[in-house]
Amino acid sequence: MTLNASTQEVWFRHRRAILKAILIGSTAPLLMSSTALASCGDHVAQIAGILAPDTMNPFATWSSFWPTTFTYDFLVGVDAQRHSDRKGFAEEWSVAEDSLTWTFKIWPGMKWSDGKPATARDAAFTYNYLRDSIGKPDELNIGWNNTGGLELVEKIAALDDETLQIVTKTPTRWPVDNTVMIVPEHIWKDVSYADARSTFRNDPPLVGTGPMIIAEFQQGQFARMTPNAYFRTGQPPIAGFVFSFFPSADSIAQGLKSGDLDYGMNLTPAQWRDLSKDDGIVVGQARIEARNYLAFNTASGEGAGSTNALQDQAFRDAIGYAIDQNLIAERAFRGHADPGLGLVVPVAKDYYSDLADIRRHFDLEEAARRLDAAGYKDINGDGVREDKEGNGFQLELITGTSSGTMETPIAAVQLVAGWLGQIGIPIAVTQLDSGAVQARTALPSQGGGKWDLYIGGIWLSPSAPDLLVLGQKGVRHNRAYWQNAKFDELAAEVAKTAQLEKSQQLVDEAVRLIYKEAPYIMLAYPFMLDARRKDCFQGWGTEDLVSMWSYFPFDRMKAM
Amino acid sequence: MAGGSGGRAGHHTGRIIFRAAATLLMVAILNFLLFRVIPGDPANMLLAGARSAITIHQIEAQRQSWGLDKPLIPNQLFSYVSATLQGDLGYSFKFRGRRVSDLILERIPATLALAGLAQLIAITIGVTLGIIAGWRRGGAVDNITTGISLALYSTPPFWLGMLLVVAFSTMLGWLPGYGAYSAGAAHVGILGRLSDHARHLILPVLAVTLGLIGQYVVVARAAMSDVVTEDYIVTARAKGLTNNQMLMRHAFRNAMLPVVTLITLNLGYVVAGAITVESVFAWPGIGSLTVEALNARDYPVLQGIFLLLGASIVFANLMADLIYGVLDPRVR
Repeated sequence: MTLNASTQEVWFRHRRAILKAILIGSTAPLLMSSTALASCGDHVAQIAGILAPDTMNPFATWSSFWPTTFTYDFLVGVDAQRHSDRKGFAEEWSVAEDSLTWTFKIWPGMKWSDGKPATARDAAFTYNYLRDSIGKPDELNIGWNNTGGLELVEKIAALDDETLQIVTKTPTRWPVDNTVMIVPEHIWKDVSYADARSTFRNDPPLVGTGPMIIAEFQQGQFARMTPNAYFRTGQPPIAGFVFSFFPSADSIAQGLKSGDLDYGMNLTPAQWRDLSKDDGIVVGQARIEARNYLAFNTASGEGAGSTNALQDQAFRDAIGYAIDQNLIAERAFRGHADPGLGLVVPVAKDYYSDLADIRRHFDLEEAARRLDAAGYKDINGDGVREDKEGNGFQLELITGTSSGTMETPIAAVQLVAGWLGQIGIPIAVTQLDSGAVQARTALPSQGGGKWDLYIGGIWLSPSAPDLLVLGQKGVRHNRAYWQNAKFDELAAEVAKTAQLEKSQQLVDEAVRLIYKEAPYIMLAYPFMLDARRKDCFQGWGTEDLVSMWSYFPFDRMKAM
Repeated sequence: MAGGSGGRAGHHTGRIIFRAAATLLMVAILNFLLFRVIPGDPANMLLAGARSAITIHQIEAQRQSWGLDKPLIPNQLFSYVSATLQGDLGYSFKFRGRRVSDLILERIPATLALAGLAQLIAITIGVTLGIIAGWRRGGAVDNITTGISLALYSTPPFWLGMLLVVAFSTMLGWLPGYGAYSAGAAHVGILGRLSDHARHLILPVLAVTLGLIGQYVVVARAAMSDVVTEDYIVTARAKGLTNNQMLMRHAFRNAMLPVVTLITLNLGYVVAGAITVESVFAWPGIGSLTVEALNARDYPVLQGIFLLLGASIVFANLMADLIYGVLDPRVR
């Protein structure tokens, strides 16, 4: 009775709150029941990366490689040259003995995702669409599909539905190395150049020849892909995938753990290590073309650094002995990078060299001895060396603020600053956001310069011309402002070489030249860190879980 | 006398409306100048993701495309001001010529849902708890509420967000930890879509709400603490009014002035969203758009967002000024 009376009292006193709780509780099943929009059962893979594509138009932007690479094919491109089972628009290719005439055999009977025939004429259209824009006010030179390299081309023609011929003015490997996405003529023929380079959004569903077609694109959120029923090797077995876009890797790591994601890229070493302890997750680390480097501001006059020593090869070379790339890879990248060496990344196997006969080794005493020999001594005994004008060194090192796979970790910057301090060259580190870094490292003619050292990164294609881009005159990526006529000559010759062996010789000569001149000290070649869950899908890659250059493995992945 | 009072009120209203309009014009001009002071070149940023060599020619082409090659003053400024006065916010660099107004309108619903709902919940709970805590100063409710509120107030919302994701998404698996809805939700019917959206909304709303509740509790408690010591409360008590009568008739209304200030200021920020929380949850609102635009130095989008933000804050202040007049006629 007492209990009943007490219960009644509680009810009367708190009846409103109790009713509210019941009401709220009744909505819980609706909210908590998990409508299972993301689950193994639907055979739709959930993947994620740090990216922010702004349009699905490959002529207007560089930012939509993911996800457009799953829908559009390159004619050949990077992966098709590395893997026989990852071909692009062309099934086979060859070059004539004159090294000028390239013939591409397009997959017979291939169709676009809307069922229309995909032929050599579409490939010819894509290249000619670009080429014909050259010199016009709306030249298509600002996006992934751009006119770069087409100045070397004499003629592009479809000999028949299955044969594309590219004739170049000089020998060049551009016909196979280029990463132009082949688009359907029947969609793009009416798009003006002005629209193609800006406002044409190429709204989904896209029409492509890749295994997965972009069916929905929500800016800042995701792209939803559906399998291409007409894919040349058969419709992909899975029901599609969703590529979610994130501003940082934290949510990616959490999504993998919770099972919301099947695959995630751009992980940090700490997240990667944490995920590696999860039994339901496989972690991966792929060698990519990324390079992290220390650049010297070699400019003289406009944009020059605080001391003329930066323009002195002997000074830069000596600094090279004060950098321990092994320790940087081990500590700053926690082992998820190869130690830096030369201009060529290890993954570009055709061109990589260990430079055994000329490579520097970490030795602070040797660095100090070389600085002494070059005339940079500590004359007044204050522990700081003086340059040839008698001024004590105090160098400004600028770098970005973000960390992760592509950016150099701040730990690497601290290591470099520490080593230079030990040999009498004090460093003041300035961290900047990406916009400020771009502004300060712009060419002096564009308002950049007036810094001393810069630590940053770059990720370009593994083609020979792109491997040499850091040292080339007039190219934005040349952050060191270094100019060398011989190097430019070699780079120009590489661009006009079709034979791999000759190209390798030229690249090697250029790499050795810039290594000795030392406008850059390569710090590391970072890996792409990624992870996948084991429970829903199979068929992921082994060297690379997901390709960084093609549609792989979404053409063959299967649900479990 | 009545006419004189009405005239004073009208004059007061006219003055604050004129002040609001002048502020807005200043905001528009400052928006143009401030973002261009930040180091960074949009033309370079647009090419930042390039995987092939970029030449100076290509950078110049970008610059020309977006009119960045023209002199900043007077050409670009004049063009911006004249377009803005006509209601045209311009075209985005990053989003390749999309109208800024379209981009903002596209993102606003997500932000209003997140920040609006969070404000509503926080105001209701926070003010109530603050008033109770202030009314019963020194009691158990006051001590517990104030302690928790101070802790929440001093905790960054993004940190709360990360904790919530780890707890409710990663560990318990109850709720999604990112995005506004699941891809494919559009195909499961309106109820399924609403339910899906609601599930995505819970954690980010909770993260913002928890941060705001602390703020409201602290301010409301302080205001109420001042009021309860006033003479008229002592008089009311002496007249034999009950606690509820004193609270509702005398204390509550007088304690509301600073709370109204905070509410209106916070409501002004509703459209700005909660930038850090939106980042944690990959929430596609105005906050995320701001970060994307800032990273790309997308001046037109930044100008548009901050003009909207400025306008909403000016409007909120305008509302506060007008409400003050109603709550306390002395401020007229």
